[in-house]
Amino acid sequence: MWLHVRLSEVCLFLQAMFILACCFSDMESGPIATSGSVQPNGDRFKIEGRAIVPGVKTQDWISSARVTVEGEEYIGFLRTDGSFVVNDVPSGSYVVEVISPGYKFEAVRVDITSKGKMRARLVNFIKTSEVIRQPYPLQLRSSGPHTYFMKRETWGWTDFLMNPMVMMMVLPLLIIVLLPKVVNTNDPEMRKEMEQSMNMLNPNPELPDVSEFMTKLFSGSKSSSSKAIGGSKASGRPAVKRRNYCNWSCHGNYNTIFFKRAFSFVFCK
Amino acid sequence: MKPPAKMSKPTSLFVIFFSLFIMSEAVFEDQVGKFDWRQQYVGKTLFAHFDSHSQSSNKLFLATDKNIFASFNSRTGDLLWRHVDKVGPEGTIDILVLHGQDALMVVGGGRLLRSWDTNMGGLNWEAVLDTGSFQAACFVAIQDTVKHVAVLKKAAISLHYLTNGHQKWVENLPDSDTVQYQAVYSGGEVEVYVLGVVPNSHLTIIAYSLEDGEIIKQRSVEAPWLSSVESSCVVIGQGVLMCVDPATLALYTLPIQAEEAPQFNQILLQVTPVQPRLEVSLGFQPVLVSSQPHPARSPISEFFLQLGPDHHVLLQLNADGYTIAALRDFQPAFLVSFATTGEKTVAVVMTPKNETLYVHAFLKKDDSVDYRVLVQTQDHALTFIQQPGRVVWTREEALADVVTMEMVDLPLTGTQAELEGEFGKKADGLFPMVLKRLSSQVILLQAWLAHLWKLFYEARKPHGQVKNEVTIETLSRDEFNLQKMMVMVTASGKLFGIDSKSGSILWKHYLENVQPNAVFKLIVQRTTAHFPHPPQCTLLIKDKDTGLASLHVFNPIFGRKSHIAPPALPRPILQSLLLPVIDQDYAKVLLLVDDQYKVTAFPSTKNVLQQLQEMASSIFFYLIRSDQGNLSGFRLRKDLSTERIWEVVLPTEVQKIVAVNGKRPNEHVHSQGRVMGDRSVLYKYLNPNLLAVVTESTDAHPERAFVGVFLVDGVTGRIIHEAVQRKARGPVHFVHSENWVVYEYWNTKSRRNEFSVLELFEGTELYNSTVFSSLDRPHLPQVLQQTYIFPSPITTMEATLTEKGITSRHLLVGLPSGAILSLPKMFLDPRRPEVVTEHSREENLIPYAPEMPIRTEWFINYNQTVARVKGIYTAPSGLESTCLVVAYGLDIYQTRVYPSKQFDVLKDDYDYVLISSVLFALFFATMISKRLAQVKLLNRAWR
Repeated sequence: MWLHVRLSEVCLFLQAMFILACCFSDMESGPIATSGSVQPNGDRFKIEGRAIVPGVKTQDWISSARVTVEGEEYIGFLRTDGSFVVNDVPSGSYVVEVISPGYKFEAVRVDITSKGKMRARLVNFIKTSEVIRQPYPLQLRSSGPHTYFMKRETWGWTDFLMNPMVMMMVLPLLIIVLLPKVVNTNDPEMRKEMEQSMNMLNPNPELPDVSEFMTKLFSGSKSSSSKAIGGSKASGRPAVKRRNYCNWSCHGNYNTIFFKRAFSFVFCK
Repeated sequence: MKPPAKMSKPTSLFVIFFSLFIMSEAVFEDQVGKFDWRQQYVGKTLFAHFDSHSQSSNKLFLATDKNIFASFNSRTGDLLWRHVDKVGPEGTIDILVLHGQDALMVVGGGRLLRSWDTNMGGLNWEAVLDTGSFQAACFVAIQDTVKHVAVLKKAAISLHYLTNGHQKWVENLPDSDTVQYQAVYSGGEVEVYVLGVVPNSHLTIIAYSLEDGEIIKQRSVEAPWLSSVESSCVVIGQGVLMCVDPATLALYTLPIQAEEAPQFNQILLQVTPVQPRLEVSLGFQPVLVSSQPHPARSPISEFFLQLGPDHHVLLQLNADGYTIAALRDFQPAFLVSFATTGEKTVAVVMTPKNETLYVHAFLKKDDSVDYRVLVQTQDHALTFIQQPGRVVWTREEALADVVTMEMVDLPLTGTQAELEGEFGKKADGLFPMVLKRLSSQVILLQAWLAHLWKLFYEARKPHGQVKNEVTIETLSRDEFNLQKMMVMVTASGKLFGIDSKSGSILWKHYLENVQPNAVFKLIVQRTTAHFPHPPQCTLLIKDKDTGLASLHVFNPIFGRKSHIAPPALPRPILQSLLLPVIDQDYAKVLLLVDDQYKVTAFPSTKNVLQQLQEMASSIFFYLIRSDQGNLSGFRLRKDLSTERIWEVVLPTEVQKIVAVNGKRPNEHVHSQGRVMGDRSVLYKYLNPNLLAVVTESTDAHPERAFVGVFLVDGVTGRIIHEAVQRKARGPVHFVHSENWVVYEYWNTKSRRNEFSVLELFEGTELYNSTVFSSLDRPHLPQVLQQTYIFPSPITTMEATLTEKGITSRHLLVGLPSGAILSLPKMFLDPRRPEVVTEHSREENLIPYAPEMPIRTEWFINYNQTVARVKGIYTAPSGLESTCLVVAYGLDIYQTRVYPSKQFDVLKDDYDYVLISSVLFALFFATMISKRLAQVKLLNRAWR
């Protein structure tokens, strides 16, 4: 544990070093970076910054990346050290984005006043005037590679066993098999006790058995069929509700709709 | 239509919906490349350089007319990396020069100077140049090391450091308003020479000091014959300027560095002692070609003189600097170029047939002279040739600019057609039908056996020898009609037939003399469904300026030009429409309306004309004149003239018509209405004649700009609905389908992109449920609208399309990042409630949220981005669940999408092993338990 913490600390330190070093090299590469924002050709400005993909060498990703300002209105390219400059941008407010097919970057809104003062803030399309300041020159850190793919649903024994339906089937089975072994059924006292408890569980001995009910239903006697209808009426509301739930959850996905309809149908019956 | 800022209340519910939606559309990792492919292009080459930095390198650097700087592997022609700059003049590449690992580029008409690290594909530096149009640039070397680059502009010259792009000095050129400065030359000394010309008067030579930009000397030489340095002069040998005068057919030489007042030395071509005699072809402007292998050294003294279109002479300037000697005469030779390595120089001449443009050559090894050639031909093909004339690879760069495309079904094979034919014919008795059935079954059996035999035969062969090459001959429709022929029309006038499964080009046809500003419309007149008749496509090529059009009729499967003669079109064409009327050969009729509102039919047989006469009163069409803000509807008369029946005028001083779009004719709508939460039905307003007209305001002020959407009935001219989006501007992208219109615009107030959806409903009762008639619809539809924020700009938009329209719809949105987002139409439903109720939940309506999500899982092309997506083409396949998608722009990407998942076929991750093992296990379990039961019964019987 200690080692782990220590390691991450070292990592952090190294990263800090790296950023520092980069800043220094920027200084050295001189006038482009430090000559100020105002350029010779009138009221055109430049947007500067640096994009970093932690743990990835710049040469592995910069050749496929670029910087776009407000869609494709202004385009900048990344330098070999990951820094960038977008030249010839008039004053205004722009969404600056580093676009790379491999790594994702957060977009930043950059405001340039007519005098060339720069400000970077978080992009918020709903509250457009909200200002949460970001560092300028921009420091854009990638939050990792894009997730383009879905994970396939794989089939494993544990998934199967942990399924509640399976659990419901397996547990009673275990109880049926194991209980007689645990409890000594030859003991007459015990047997008496069990019989009593069974009677407790089945308080209404007159209630017809399920199988009996089914045979009555299919034998077609009038009185029982009307009873059955009455029963279904009584259970109507919860059934509808259940169906609603099914519909609600499947979203025009045809096979699932079909499946769930069928399922709910069975369920409601 | 401002989306409410507050978030919808039941957030938790939304999360639940969301998690369900994640499943709706995504690619699995193992599906990569299974049914999708991408081809990357760069466009027509303007500058090309071989990487001569190291001997073993096989890199190639190109700058193209599509503002792209790209690197290729020269062995295979594969793209290593490329940088796509802005479209238009701001991104144009003026020059590309290579030195060592650095590639220097002047961009945007002298706007920027960029240096690229060619090894990594990253930028070294970028410097902003002073304003002024770019003229020339060259490397400047001192004592054999190249340290600077000189950039010549119209009125100034500047010198930049190669290492960081900083400007060393910049100097204004004297008399720049009269003198046209066109060339800059450095031969490795401490001076940089700038050559300028006052046309037909004199030549100006200025020498600048490398150190501080001071003018060392300035001379002016009489040259009344000279009009342009750029086109008629080169520098050869030890700084000798060689010019050619086409009028007197003479060469002029002048030493640039000369101290005293210099004079041009004239060499008349006719009287030179050179053999063979140098005779210029009639009317040809002679051209000089020279080479400066290294910026630190002076150019070589050999040069080419082009005397005719196919005639070059290799000449040499003698050491005295005044006389020339002929080395060799090349005829025929269309293209020439020099290449140098070490001390050796190769001159390359080439004689292609009828193809002209760029040749770049280079030497590979020091001892043996070896070269590779890159040829850019007129039809935008880029060919790479190795020494013995072997073509290593060819790239069809015309595909970088696809204008329009269609997907055509592949033909049935002979046996398939026979089987199909059985059902089509009229029954002629029971017995013959049975016989036919049996014979076709025998044919099927034969085909199956042949297939088995082939499989067996190929299995015996070692791997690698079995080739699965797709050729036109082996093409046939697959059982779900997923493989189709993509007919692509490019801006250069080259047509391609591409197999949609593999992406291989099966045929190409170059239409010569297509104007660069031509517009194209591709029409499928006859599909492959009418077996004995070949399929037929017609390409309407229209000159944008004059409106004059021509037709190219061809077979889309083989690319061959049809023998059917298209009609002559002497007048400008305003509109073309494809009627559902078919002639006796099953070709749909194409009507072309000219500027006198006369109609030409193609094909125009007697049968067709008769049908047209009968149907004339029900054929309507519309014309747009966006310059007059005029939208008008016409009806066809029996004599093929037309009458105007309605007109809508949108005043051009307020707004201009940007786009007009009807619905796609091959679109099917399966359900007539939507079932609501209370079990009533809301019927869709499905008007097949509805046009969506999009306008933009002429006033561009952010406060007053607006975007308008008009829904107009194309038959009656009735404006069904009118929606105006205030404080909005284009570019507007929109899709019009079924009973909805989705459009996207830029909100100038909040500076964001917004999607708006309009949905039209008839109400809970249908007026006339059997047939729709525009003339008999008294009630206007109910229109619902909702607007959402979209967190990215978009470049194009299209809706998915399936065979019967049962599958739910998705919108395919092309983003500037090159991703193609598959956005469920469900998110763009104006009935999305702000507050969730029982009814809305029952209807599966997602609660309203102002911001539309963009999830990378919804990108159908994962990391295979399509640069500059220009269009997305969708086509139905034989499977209802599947829609074929082609996105084109700079690249071409083909894939399939399943908007409602694959509900009609087994998924490709279907677990056959599990199902069969469970089946077998159950089977054996029953067997065993049966046996056990028997034993038990027997035992009991014995008891």
